[in-house]
Amino acid sequence: MISDEQLVEESLAGSALAFSDLVERYQERLLRYLLTRSGNRADAEDAVQDTFISAYRYLYSYNPRWRFSTWIYRIAIRNVARQPQGEIRDVDVIADENAPDPLEECIVACERENVWLTAKRLLNQDAYAAMWLRYVEDMSIKEIARALDKTQSWTKVTLLRGRRSLSAELTEGASGAAGRQIYGRI
Amino acid sequence: MDEFENRLKLDAQAIRAGISPELRSRIDASLRATEQIRPVPESPAPGMNLWWASSLTGLAAAVIVIVLVNWNGPSTVPAPLEQVADRTVPAAVDEFQGLYPPWLIKTADFASPLEEELARLQADIERASKNVKEDIDFTF
Repeated sequence: MISDEQLVEESLAGSALAFSDLVERYQERLLRYLLTRSGNRADAEDAVQDTFISAYRYLYSYNPRWRFSTWIYRIAIRNVARQPQGEIRDVDVIADENAPDPLEECIVACERENVWLTAKRLLNQDAYAAMWLRYVEDMSIKEIARALDKTQSWTKVTLLRGRRSLSAELTEGASGAAGRQIYGRI
Repeated sequence: MDEFENRLKLDAQAIRAGISPELRSRIDASLRATEQIRPVPESPAPGMNLWWASSLTGLAAAVIVIVLVNWNGPSTVPAPLEQVADRTVPAAVDEFQGLYPPWLIKTADFASPLEEELARLQADIERASKNVKEDIDFTF
């Protein structure tokens, strides 16, 4: 299987097919993440499209020292951060408007609450992104720090707090309440 | 991978993120309409050009000045090397010429003026202390 980096090289050499393969590899992964960060599905799809356009346009600036996934997530995170603030709504706001959370809409029906819905409620955007990149994309601390433009220390601390906060919330009862009290919305 | 990490992964997978054919064709169309930005071949920076120009001008000016100064030849006739050597080497050094290796003679050459200075200073101190002593002993 051709690596992402090889596809980037071919794309830089003028192969449109190579970049199309990269789109194929990342479109679902990016949409899944962006669905959890955008106000609605249309915004998430727009963000995916913008991410690929930016990546294609500035492909020469990609540094093969880093994984392609780190680079493209960095673009996606920046794109979603640039969306007007009004469009990124919290779960609470959505509930008030009686409109379903786009993330909730996309989650397969399950008896328990999806942990990412809980994470969205508990964590701030950066902490959420760090958790996603670590536990869904299996990125290293260094790569997460690079993607989020943060220090490695920040990443470690944020991941630890995010994990504790989520664990406390998930294990219902006194410990959960205590966890919420200590960490709040990080 | 522990249970918590497993749950995070599974729950992420539970988020339906199917790409519709419309979205895919939209992405493809927008990519076809987008041109890759190619880095412009780097030309020497203007600052670098300025540096070279000023360096060359300075060098040329220095060469011109040297040529002009030396146009009529040197103003003084340099003394023959042997004469200079004779004049600069103290007589005391000559006495030890055969006894000490050249580097020691060199040292003596450098040290002798300092020794003379020291002797003069010591004489001055003795004279001054003598004067002070006389002043102290002076009685009205």
